[in-house]
Amino acid sequence: MVNIETTDLTRSYETYQKAEGLLKSIEGLWARKVDHKVALHPTNLRIESGQIIGLVGSNGAGKTTLLKLLSGLIHPSGGSAKVLGYSPTSRDPDFLRRISILLGQKNQLWWDLPPVDSYDLLGKIYELDRAKARERVQELAELLDCTRLLRTQLRRLSLGERMKMEIIGALLHQPEVLFLDEPTIGLDIVAQTTIREFLARYVQERKPTLILTSHYMDDISLLADRLLLISKGQIVYDGSVDEFTAKSEARQTLSFKFFNPTATELSILSEDGSTEVCKLPAESRSVQIEVPAASIASVLQAAMSAGPIHEIKIEEVEFEDVIHKFMQQDVGVRAASRTPTV
Amino acid sequence: MLACARLAALQQFEYRFNLVADTLIQPTIVGLVEITLWLAFFSSTGQVELMGFGKEHYLAYAFWAAFVARISTSWMYETQMIEDVETGTINSVLVRPISFFEYYLGQLMGYKALTTVISMVVPIAICLSISLPVDLLRLPLALTLVFYYLILVHILSMIIASLGFFFTRIHHLTVAKNITLWMLTGEFFPLDLAPEPFRSALVALPFSSAVYRPVGYLTGRLDASAVLEGFLSVTIGILVLGPLAAWLWLKGRRRYSGTGA
Repeated sequence: MVNIETTDLTRSYETYQKAEGLLKSIEGLWARKVDHKVALHPTNLRIESGQIIGLVGSNGAGKTTLLKLLSGLIHPSGGSAKVLGYSPTSRDPDFLRRISILLGQKNQLWWDLPPVDSYDLLGKIYELDRAKARERVQELAELLDCTRLLRTQLRRLSLGERMKMEIIGALLHQPEVLFLDEPTIGLDIVAQTTIREFLARYVQERKPTLILTSHYMDDISLLADRLLLISKGQIVYDGSVDEFTAKSEARQTLSFKFFNPTATELSILSEDGSTEVCKLPAESRSVQIEVPAASIASVLQAAMSAGPIHEIKIEEVEFEDVIHKFMQQDVGVRAASRTPTV
Repeated sequence: MLACARLAALQQFEYRFNLVADTLIQPTIVGLVEITLWLAFFSSTGQVELMGFGKEHYLAYAFWAAFVARISTSWMYETQMIEDVETGTINSVLVRPISFFEYYLGQLMGYKALTTVISMVVPIAICLSISLPVDLLRLPLALTLVFYYLILVHILSMIIASLGFFFTRIHHLTVAKNITLWMLTGEFFPLDLAPEPFRSALVALPFSSAVYRPVGYLTGRLDASAVLEGFLSVTIGILVLGPLAAWLWLKGRRRYSGTGA
């Protein structure tokens, strides 16, 4: 069964542009230059019931805009969407009782109240049986290991603790469709892992349709069975996570500093000697190169043969760069205007 | 809506000092300032009556007006509504099966009910202890009118909050509106003291049901028919401004970009 379907769904925004300076501010009182930015180009999607979608893209790519459109928070500029058979913008109470959206950078519980009071209110808003709602809060809190925090005012909790509370609030009414926007953003590794594992267990047991956005590939790789890559408001990849990982070769940034400048140009070959991985120009002192993860050892070995090194740094390539590289490869790219095969 | 009213009470009880300041300290200070002004007026002019009512009557009006106006004005929730639109906090309401109107009306009513229970103690005690004219049997009808008027107040707040979708920052409009209402409601002075033709207009407007009509009725200046006229006037106000609020809300929602999330 198709739970989410969009047809040429589009959204654009108007933004006010102001030139620098006081005079331009005064001029802005009566004349303002307005720019139109397309946040989401015509998008066609079909998402089956129970699918877990990882929605990935750089900042401003259109991920959150898509989630807001599908949850009815904002109106589309064009096209249409159906979620569970409803038009999201109609804000039909039956529709709203069957979905949930968690915006990782926004509190949705009441700041001044302890979570337990917020859940009580949510139970009334969603018309839940009081005893069952309390039982469910307890169950979720135990799974997230935060029972002791239920009676502490929300504003006094840490970011990670608050996120656990927000997750309980989002799942209290057992939504059939769940939109999670950056649920692990800004959290430490321990909190990220707890939430990630909790969500993995939850989706396995409850089988909701889930769209998850995250900057952390671990979130996506653990939870998602389908990946949507979005760039500049267009879906540029739609396929499995494994397929994506295989096609986007893992790369790392290698930086090192020689004690003395290198004497001659140095060509570094892959381990089997068949291809040139990179080239160090003569007179190099500081070098920063991006290499396939598998070639790190051979590159380092070759570099050390060029002269003594006093500083080495290996970093993961930014996820945005991976996306950029992936898009350059033109592999698996699907035009946004086509409806992907599910 | 009852759940939202309960939410308002829960939130206010979290901050005890703020609650006391809002429900007791602030209206007491306003009442004392107004009483001082009326005492100054009567002592400086040497008059014993004004429009057929004595000094005690005006002192009672001033004190009750300060407390009733505290119930019939909306600063806090209107500001919150504007901020919700401006910052995107409104998202947490929009994704739930409750309307923004109902969510905040419930809270406004809940908070004002709490304010009434706490703050009414002061004018009742003052009027009884120094024998100022008041008919406490009239209090239920007077307060019913005030709470009915709150629906109109909330519609005005919806109009202003909806303008936030178009202009983003509009807090000063709330200030301007509430200063205007300070004059129009009769909090500042009994509206029948105004010269014609202003007097008839001010009394006929629904805003007179915020303070002038209920307090005038409580202190014996007006009879029950004035309160009933107040209900009618507020109803007309709701029928005129309600559709405007709904239209602005729908237009604004189309423009909304879900700011900040």
